[in-house]
Amino acid sequence: MNTPASTTASTGTPPIDSGVLLDINSIGISFGGLKAVQDFSLQLPAAGLFGLIGPNGAGKTTIFNLLTGVYEPDSGEIHLASRRLFNRQPHEITAAGIARTFQNIRLFPDLSVLDNVRLAGQLHNQQGLLSTLLRTRGYRREEQLLQEKAFNLLEIFELQDRAHELASSLSYGHQRKLEIVRALATNPQVLLLDEPAAGLNPQEKKLLAQSIQQIRDRFQVAVLLIEHDMPLVMEICENIIVLDHGNTICRGTPREVQNDERVIAAYLGSGLTDEESSPAA
Amino acid sequence: MAKAPNSAQIWTSKTNAAGSASFSDRDSGFVRNTLAGLMPFAVGIAMASLLHFLLPGMVGLYYSRIVTDIGIAIIMAVSLNIVNGMTGQFSIGHAGFMTLGGYMAAFTSYYGSMCLWGNTEIHGGFLGTGEWLFVVSCIVGGLLAAGAGYVVGLPSLRLRGDYLAIVTLGFGEIIRVILQQTGKVIESAEALKTGGLSQMIPPPVGGALGFGGVPKYTNLFWVFTILTVTLVIAYRLKRSSFGRGMISVREDEIAAQAMGVNIARQKVLAFVIAAFFAGIAGGLFAHERGVILSPKDAGFQRSFDYVIMTVLGGRGSITGVMLAAGLLTALPEFLREFEQYRLIVYALLLIFMMLVRPQGLLGIHEIWDLWPRRRTTLPPTASLMHSSTMPSQESKR
Amino acid sequence: MTTTLQTPIFTLMSDFVQTLITALAIGSLYALIALGYTMVYGILKFINFAHSDIVVLGAWSSYTLAVRILPWLGLDPHNPATVPPFWVAAVVMLAAMVLCGVVGFAIERLAYRRLRRAPRLNVLITAIGVSLLLQNVGQLNFVFGASPQKMPALLPSWELASIAFGEGESARRVVIGLIDVVIFSLATTLMLMMQYLVFHTKLGVAMRAVSFNTDNAALMGIPVDRVVSFTFVLGSVLAAAAGFLYVMKYPSMNQPAHAVWVLLGLKAFVAAVIGGIGNVRGAVLGGFVIAFVEQFGAFYISSNYRDVYVFALLIVILLVKPSGLLGSPVREKV
Repeated sequence: MNTPASTTASTGTPPIDSGVLLDINSIGISFGGLKAVQDFSLQLPAAGLFGLIGPNGAGKTTIFNLLTGVYEPDSGEIHLASRRLFNRQPHEITAAGIARTFQNIRLFPDLSVLDNVRLAGQLHNQQGLLSTLLRTRGYRREEQLLQEKAFNLLEIFELQDRAHELASSLSYGHQRKLEIVRALATNPQVLLLDEPAAGLNPQEKKLLAQSIQQIRDRFQVAVLLIEHDMPLVMEICENIIVLDHGNTICRGTPREVQNDERVIAAYLGSGLTDEESSPAA
Repeated sequence: MAKAPNSAQIWTSKTNAAGSASFSDRDSGFVRNTLAGLMPFAVGIAMASLLHFLLPGMVGLYYSRIVTDIGIAIIMAVSLNIVNGMTGQFSIGHAGFMTLGGYMAAFTSYYGSMCLWGNTEIHGGFLGTGEWLFVVSCIVGGLLAAGAGYVVGLPSLRLRGDYLAIVTLGFGEIIRVILQQTGKVIESAEALKTGGLSQMIPPPVGGALGFGGVPKYTNLFWVFTILTVTLVIAYRLKRSSFGRGMISVREDEIAAQAMGVNIARQKVLAFVIAAFFAGIAGGLFAHERGVILSPKDAGFQRSFDYVIMTVLGGRGSITGVMLAAGLLTALPEFLREFEQYRLIVYALLLIFMMLVRPQGLLGIHEIWDLWPRRRTTLPPTASLMHSSTMPSQESKR
Repeated sequence: MTTTLQTPIFTLMSDFVQTLITALAIGSLYALIALGYTMVYGILKFINFAHSDIVVLGAWSSYTLAVRILPWLGLDPHNPATVPPFWVAAVVMLAAMVLCGVVGFAIERLAYRRLRRAPRLNVLITAIGVSLLLQNVGQLNFVFGASPQKMPALLPSWELASIAFGEGESARRVVIGLIDVVIFSLATTLMLMMQYLVFHTKLGVAMRAVSFNTDNAALMGIPVDRVVSFTFVLGSVLAAAAGFLYVMKYPSMNQPAHAVWVLLGLKAFVAAVIGGIGNVRGAVLGGFVIAFVEQFGAFYISSNYRDVYVFALLIVILLVKPSGLLGSPVREKV
């Protein structure tokens, strides 16, 4: 069993102890009569690495939005570590332990790299207004710890040299990295990655694949991944769910999913050109 | 003109010395810490005293008055910047908070004076009892304004940019209208006693004619002391978890929420803090010699002045806004013949800024960011692995 | 002397009808102005703060023109008894509309076009700048000056009808004046023309397409720049008409930068929001709703708080149904 203090390099084998951490039970949502997501279920174990794939507009990001409280599901329930997540604001859900990255990078452009990470790290240790304004000893200590923690994280991902640069000045690949670092700074139990490989070159994608697995092991987070890059998904995910037009059309191991006819049909169309019909993704 | 010392320097020099050991290991000492925390205030008070005693002798009453006006304008602009600049909201009714606070402060000091001493003359000298009543009145005004800030901040949770602008504009107008319906000022202590409590509804603060007779306690010392407090608080707010939270709300609300920021709390907090200082500035304004506080001070014309200052100075730049406030308050005094062109120039300036340099003069930077500065970084605490993979294979401590 | 029990009822009824008539007239004006706000917001997604200043421009240019034309016809502009023939009013109004259309076009072209992709807050600040500019340029001595003036009467103050409540000398009469009828019918005509334009012409389809999604409309081959310009011109023309009609009814004009004008525009904007910003029918509905709330509130509750009712209603709507009475909620894509 992996322990965080272990100094041996982890190789990416999933932990033995894996109770269900994130239990999604039949959630669904409609937008003005159109069913964007219907009857979606998923049991994500602690330190699991699952993939969510499907053509554009299938509802994958909508599911992320449902999980993070941006939308409230019309039906179904979501449980995190046996606690029901219901009617919560997004920031409360992040505090509960679900963190995410965004399909289109949403860094804070006018904040430095360090501040982006510090912001994410400060949610568990809210300072009082008075101690902030008076700069009490307790405040300074907490800020110091936060800064150290943020720097540690940046170092692990080799971004520490750019700590004081504005987030907007980073290269695309580094911005994608920072998105993930920032989400990790919130100390999550579950990490939702929304197309982290988009726009990366093959070399970067390889590194990303390895990194995701190492993140899972080292930070002990369960990962749910939306991706379009099939080789990447097939390589690292233990389990894959395939979505099409809001419905789950297949779930299973990479091999099972690869050979499933319905999946092939959904991606390639069944002879006729496949039109884009669902608006919300 | 007083300027708060860079409290950041005090802060970072401490962390530099801390090195890799954890903070609690260092014996920083209670006295040393307290001193560091209070230093900026002490320096500010010292400078305010200097200004108060030396300036009138040096430049005369007219220019001292302008300097006082500048001080008040800076407090207004810096506080507005907390909402508009840092948190990215769009409040264009800031003068409403100022006037509300000003009326409350004037009411407290005027009728308080009557109750305590039987008249509304100036009592005591420098730092005398009269001045302390004045300070308390300003704080009371600030508190009322803060309450109003809470009420106005609540709709901001549901409303985006343009809509919020209209609501804040409407707020200023509502305050103006309500103040116009107030009763006549009670002229003597005897009348106050005989009239009883019933004459307090509606509040006897003068109505459309304005609140005349307020004891004129405002002086350079108090303006710049309060200015120091405002600046220190604004700066400490900016460089803190609150500041980061507010800026994240400005940059990207959805991402901020996803990172655990309670955007509602940040927005309302920004409004409350900004309104508090605006209310105190209103108190300072109401007690200024030569000023008769009137309901039209709550209107949008005055609010626009402060908005222009924050736009010109740069959202999120405290020093930038200070500069702009100073400039835009002092310049009209020297260009009085061109008064009818003043607003035209402002308008053209505004349009020009938006087309050419929308981030304002200093943008998000403070004035000391313009000089190249050695960055202070912590020495690394985990060893670096020069591997080709992204995360280091070494365990996190 | 008839002091019967019926008198209070007649007073009640006559007051009600009088307030109703005023509300209808004012409502038409608010609706005209609100249309400008709503169309610009629909297309460019920002509040054109300078729109109320177009109304002022319409009003004051009407005044300037009227004051020049009347002496030329041998009439004294400051004598309310001498009323010129009807065509003078029509000419003045049309001239004001043309002028404002041109100014509206210029503003969009010079100030707003470059900011089409800028953050909305920047555009809003620019709009405030343009508004300030218009107001204060208008107050310069060689333009309109900074003193109030009285608008010459261009329409006779005829009574077209009167409704009597009660009998005998103590009957209460409600008068329907020509001016109110002109305002209401003219405004309604313009609004019907707008309705036709937006919903039954190709140009209207183009406008609606641009308001729905500017980029897609451009991809479809719609000349977005021209549609935007046209929208501004249209809004400005309606605003000019509103300004003209306003000073027909209320000839005591305040100077261009006076708060009264800004409040007028603000209330019209509130009308647009209440009806559903971006929604043309909503603007019209909102205009009348605002007018009714304002007039009935001022008469039956207190006229001192006239402005407050409108803002109070705004706050209620924004909290309860922020997309307005006829609007539909818009989701932001995450």
